Amino acid sequence: MTDRRAIFVGGAAAAAAAATLLTPKEAAARPLEDVLRAGELRVGVNPTLPPRALFNDRNVIDGFEPEVAAAIAQKMGVRLVLQAVGSPERIPMVASGRIDFVMGAMSRTSERAKVIDYTVPVHSENYGIVSVAGRGLTTIEALNKPEVTLAQVRGTTAIPYIQRAIPNAQVLLLDNYPDRNRAIAQGRAQASFDGIDSVRFALRPFRQVQWEVTAVPAFGVTYSGLGVAKNNDSLRLWLNIALYELHTDGTIERLWEKWFDGPMFTKVPVSPFF
Amino acid sequence: MNYSLIWSQVTPHIPYLLGGAALTLQLAVISFLAGWAIGLVNASVLHFGPRPARLAVQGYVTFFINTPLLVQIFFIFFVLPDAGILLSPYAAVAIGMSLNAGAYLTEIQRAGFQSLRREEIDAATAMGFSVPQMVWYVILPHIAKALYPPLSNQFIIQVMTTSIAAIFAVEELTGRAYNVNSLTFRSLEVFSITAVIYVVLTLACSMALALLGRWLFRVKARIL
Repeated sequence: MTDRRAIFVGGAAAAAAAATLLTPKEAAARPLEDVLRAGELRVGVNPTLPPRALFNDRNVIDGFEPEVAAAIAQKMGVRLVLQAVGSPERIPMVASGRIDFVMGAMSRTSERAKVIDYTVPVHSENYGIVSVAGRGLTTIEALNKPEVTLAQVRGTTAIPYIQRAIPNAQVLLLDNYPDRNRAIAQGRAQASFDGIDSVRFALRPFRQVQWEVTAVPAFGVTYSGLGVAKNNDSLRLWLNIALYELHTDGTIERLWEKWFDGPMFTKVPVSPFF
Repeated sequence: MNYSLIWSQVTPHIPYLLGGAALTLQLAVISFLAGWAIGLVNASVLHFGPRPARLAVQGYVTFFINTPLLVQIFFIFFVLPDAGILLSPYAAVAIGMSLNAGAYLTEIQRAGFQSLRREEIDAATAMGFSVPQMVWYVILPHIAKALYPPLSNQFIIQVMTTSIAAIFAVEELTGRAYNVNSLTFRSLEVFSITAVIYVVLTLACSMALALLGRWLFRVKARIL
């Protein structure tokens, strides 16, 4: 085969693969009836976000979100299958039906809601400044200086806010929270502005560091729901009812306290209407 | 798939992604040139050096070829600060990639050294050349043509490898793609555009290297 023919055949094969991937009838998100019929609920969680999800000492995915997912699967009467997902693939995995919904700090934003549908909130997300005691970095004004470097996790909700409200600070975008905390502890960065719900858990390995965590209520509270494929309403509406029951019987609050070493900073307002 | 491609939400970010591609290229060039220099010195040592120096080079090559680049950069980025050496993210990644490339380029250039004829070395020695002079004036011109294709391949690999820098706060192409993805949730569109940029970048590099090879060493490499 000549080189040009090889390129043509390769290109045609790639186009065919793309067309197969994007054909609407193929591998669509599963409605509730399909999940019930299969007897298996597939849930995506991100194990790099402890204690939301993590690999435990038996190398099994564990944490707050897997336990919430287990409670949902139990209500549904199906088997739970957990799938580890990262940031780039989580949305295509929901859209293609490889997973039925995704968890993992899925903060609701209007921009994200153009691509994915959300259930009612599972938990709140509260924001603040994580720094080392004595640095005097406890306000947004103190952070907004060129000599301050903020260590942040790539892809988190706080980044657009930092670009808008703390434009003078330098930003160091890292891959995960343990790396972020290590960067602050080592002096590579002075502070971080981010969710503070899991800091009690996440800062444990750095016992030699005297951390300072300051809540910034002015930022507001965001809410994380379950991410469901666009227009998969039969599943999303059932999940809303299941979450309402898990909120009102105290399951979610109990699991939160178990994994986050304390109650939610802001309780999720529960409504029977969705 | 229950997903509609909407490119218009991602296309405004293309200039931002192209800025990342420039950083990708810069990182690849710097780490390749540094790795090439390391490899040349190491290959000289393996060919002419005393046994302790040869053992040291072999140890370096064994270590860097048999450990993942990610682990090597992690060590430089997060372990060295505990020893008082705090490098910037860019420097840490550039040094890690250079050391890693240096190990592979040592092996490539060692093979080139072994292809030399004994008579050439003897003639240079008889003329009183020092080892650096011998390498620069006799060995390099001889092996350049033979080694040009594998060196070019190594450069293209180096371009791809830069994507690892995103993990260490360097805002190259992949890092910026992650940023745009988290903002828009348009994973398919973002990573499709990113893939196209990588393809264009590597094809442009391949063409430039082929032209350079023809001009410098008369290497008959395919341009496309």
